[in-house]
Amino acid sequence: MSREPRATNVNLAVNLGGLAMKNPVTVASGTFGAGMEYHDFVNVATLGAVTTKGVSLNGWEGNASPRIAETASGMLNSIGLQNPGVQHLKDIELPWLESIGATTIVNVSGHSFDEYVSVIEALEEAPVDAYEVNISCPNVDAGGMTMGCHVPSVEKVVGLCRAATKRPLIVKLTPNVTDVAEIARAAEAAGADAISLINTLLGMAVDARTRKPLLARVVGGFSGPAVKPVALRMVWQVAGAVSVPVLGMGGISSGTDAVEFMLAGATAVAVGTANFCNPTATVDVIDGIIDYCESQGVSDVNELIGGLLC
Amino acid sequence: MTLYNETAPVLANEEAGCRIWLMTVRAPEIAATARPGQFVHVKIPGMEGHILRRPLGIYAADREAGTVDMMYQVLGFGTEHMTELAAGDAVEMIGPIGRGWEVPEGCKRALVVAGGVGSAPLYPLVEELVARGVAVTSVLGASTIDALVARERYGAALGCEPVCSTDDGTFGHEGFCTPLVEEALREAAASGELFDYVACCGPEPLMRLVASMAEEAGVFCEVSLERRMACGVGACLSCVVDTVDGKKRACVDGPVFPSKKVVW
Repeated sequence: MSREPRATNVNLAVNLGGLAMKNPVTVASGTFGAGMEYHDFVNVATLGAVTTKGVSLNGWEGNASPRIAETASGMLNSIGLQNPGVQHLKDIELPWLESIGATTIVNVSGHSFDEYVSVIEALEEAPVDAYEVNISCPNVDAGGMTMGCHVPSVEKVVGLCRAATKRPLIVKLTPNVTDVAEIARAAEAAGADAISLINTLLGMAVDARTRKPLLARVVGGFSGPAVKPVALRMVWQVAGAVSVPVLGMGGISSGTDAVEFMLAGATAVAVGTANFCNPTATVDVIDGIIDYCESQGVSDVNELIGGLLC
Repeated sequence: MTLYNETAPVLANEEAGCRIWLMTVRAPEIAATARPGQFVHVKIPGMEGHILRRPLGIYAADREAGTVDMMYQVLGFGTEHMTELAAGDAVEMIGPIGRGWEVPEGCKRALVVAGGVGSAPLYPLVEELVARGVAVTSVLGASTIDALVARERYGAALGCEPVCSTDDGTFGHEGFCTPLVEEALREAAASGELFDYVACCGPEPLMRLVASMAEEAGVFCEVSLERRMACGVGACLSCVVDTVDGKKRACVDGPVFPSKKVVW
């Protein structure tokens, strides 16, 4: 039985930089496919939005296995953005999302400035409600450096994407930087309509018995409940540094977690790794937000945004 | 094919031998729709810091009773924790997941090869083959006699004793089970009653060897692969297997693959 959020009189609708969401909950890219895999568990059309797995122009094969490792209250992954390319997304997933009436954010990846633009251009006629630009990819135009760690690269890629579309443009930041607020301001100045964060934290795990790393690629992205304090801190910093709305994520698995992110300044939130443990996590989070608002006498979820008392 | 996420009360959970345990749970929706070779993705309660589910092969699914049996070897934190569950506890599980065994059309003679707890996901296949009137030869390999926990069920389903080996020689042939597989294939060739299907589940080196023997004998072979898994439903791409058609997900494109598709 596919779950849906329960009925409520609380206004749950939010506006994320021009993207109208029926409630403030989407999913973290890469944890939910394009929703098809979870539709037996939750009616994905009832989510604030579905954020699709990162898509590149011609597809990527991804990294060698093993690609994941469980760590204390979290996990590491090095999937390597495996995806079949933008044409597959246009042929299969986007028509399906449109047919069920889902709100769709497409996560855009690239290995070069041109690739991001080409992906967006390929999608401009497709049923897409917003783009999320993943700037945590290595950039071949800059010697493999992660795009999102370098202010001039952020300005350039966001500016090029901005020029390629009038649709809401969300820029997803990596937390693996010294000053996340500086990167956020650069993205805003280059035309971002919203900022999403955090992508995974770079980490690693070792098997002492075999003396080998647990991931084939040695290092990978750390996610899950363990990262929540870091994510909250960065959302709070960024919300204070920019005037565009923030999509917060990192370790959210309950309605209370989501409310904490909204209090820290997020307009909307994404459920990521929790989907792996609990296939109804998205709807559980929405229901939890409703429970919180009803019990606290909050009639509009927008009242929570940035409501932290400090 | 619909996936269910059921809260499944534990009915029994006992050691069958040699750190191999059997758990029976009530999960009527999964039991009613499971096909041989599929698995369940189990959330074990009380694991706090260990957030991921554990994939376990379905050893038996009883439609009438609404129960699912799982056989598991105690190998790490999750399976160690599972042994502490008793009747009255419950696990949460997603299932039935994946592409199971796909017996070729018109199959008349099958060779089923299981290593260790690989005997679990093969048992429902043996039942199905027997029900279809397929002549089944079964080879079970294990480390020692106490680890041959599926032998009696196999015997009951087959109506005869499966061919067994133990690494330490405490039961059946001493050593690995691969010479028994070779012998079965050779005898079939000599008698003219060739196998038309080989199914194998166990340690990957065993599956690889059996796959190459089957290939040499010209018999269609399937193997069931295991990978570290996060979502278990095809979304996260953690569990990919290298195949001749590119990377495929062990969870939903497998776990059973035609052996010729696998890049070992």
